[in-house]
Amino acid sequence: MSDLLLVVFDLVLLVGLLGVAWRCLASTDLFRAVVLFITFGLLLALAWVRLEAPDIALAEAAIGAGITGALLLVTLERLRSIAVERRRGRPDEPPDPAGADALLHALHDPPPPRRTFVPALTFALVVGGLMVTALWHQPDAVGLEPVVDEHMGVSGVDHPITAVLLNFRAYDTFLELAIVLIALLGAWSLGRYDRLPARPAPGPILPGTLRLLVPVAIVTGVYILWAGSHAPGGAFQAGAILGAAGILLVLARPRDLPMAPSTPLRLGLAAGVGLFLAIGIIGLFIGPGLLGYPPEWAYPLIIVIEVAATLSIALTLVALFIAGRPAGDDH
Amino acid sequence: MIANTLTVILILAGLVFFAAGTAGLLRFPDVYSRLHALTKADNVGLGLVILGLMLQAGGPADILKLFLIWVLVLAAGTTAAHMVAQRTWTHGEFESDR
Repeated sequence: MSDLLLVVFDLVLLVGLLGVAWRCLASTDLFRAVVLFITFGLLLALAWVRLEAPDIALAEAAIGAGITGALLLVTLERLRSIAVERRRGRPDEPPDPAGADALLHALHDPPPPRRTFVPALTFALVVGGLMVTALWHQPDAVGLEPVVDEHMGVSGVDHPITAVLLNFRAYDTFLELAIVLIALLGAWSLGRYDRLPARPAPGPILPGTLRLLVPVAIVTGVYILWAGSHAPGGAFQAGAILGAAGILLVLARPRDLPMAPSTPLRLGLAAGVGLFLAIGIIGLFIGPGLLGYPPEWAYPLIIVIEVAATLSIALTLVALFIAGRPAGDDH
Repeated sequence: MIANTLTVILILAGLVFFAAGTAGLLRFPDVYSRLHALTKADNVGLGLVILGLMLQAGGPADILKLFLIWVLVLAAGTTAAHMVAQRTWTHGEFESDR
């Protein structure tokens, strides 16, 4: 009975995922598409829970749905205000074909029908065929679980996912951190932000909620970071929660947002990648190889890297949300 | 046995509130009445679901966590509803670009 219910639940979830994905892609209204994208992320997190991958579910809900959703919304808002501003500046001129107006129009109007049926069908057949072949020849492997379980003793942590992410496959996690940092460098190279003035909302509700939610978010973030060594959690999820608290503060801005001090900000942003790389290189010289740790030092080193990575991820997400390097330190 | 029955009853009652809230969101004519349907119904609905789940919890820590989830959703929902309502009051109903 309960098996049947679970199958029904999974099917409903699957249909919901596909339906929301289709609506999101087919929507010609950007705002609706973003909202559907967030919905899709939350449903996807549920799907990860059903696949018994709570770590990925946490990351998907916090980063995929939450932070990415916020970034998309703020991008949309900026596109819109740029378009309005340009239109106000030159009301008589025809819209610039390369300008923000044209971009918004291109994004909104459904594209003209093209003769893409045959290429699309060919593409679908080839990719589908490849996928079927790949899945057909899946060996009856049990996956990497036994290998990971066998080596848990030397990993330094008690949670297999953290062991894989920060010890056995530290390379991948290091590159992920580097990608987040490079994304921020890209955003910073495009512009800068000036002092963001306060925008106090009338009424006591928003400040009250901030006073309640921000401390809770900080405690939750630190807890998730700490839990990462023995339970689902870790740097990315914790960084996303702390970053969300920062984004909330930036969005609500009960006071003027102070300019971030340049040197500490840059140190904080680079701390995760820098420490990870430094420890990795030390590993190269003292024996276990690049990004490897001596087993007796694995636990403290992983904790140090995770703390630095959490700080960097949180700062990077807030900085990405503000988008632009702090003005005033372009020398 | 009694706990299980109570859980089922409470969660079903919660789902009724969720369904009513969703129906209100889809059917009510303007922003304010939609918000009214959504927040009131969701808060009570989630409260009932959480109450039902508390009866199945493994210990006081789990019960506390469930309670905390309810309080946080309550706070976030209230604030979101308040801000949507305020924005509508000052700027008029939200218009999409199309």
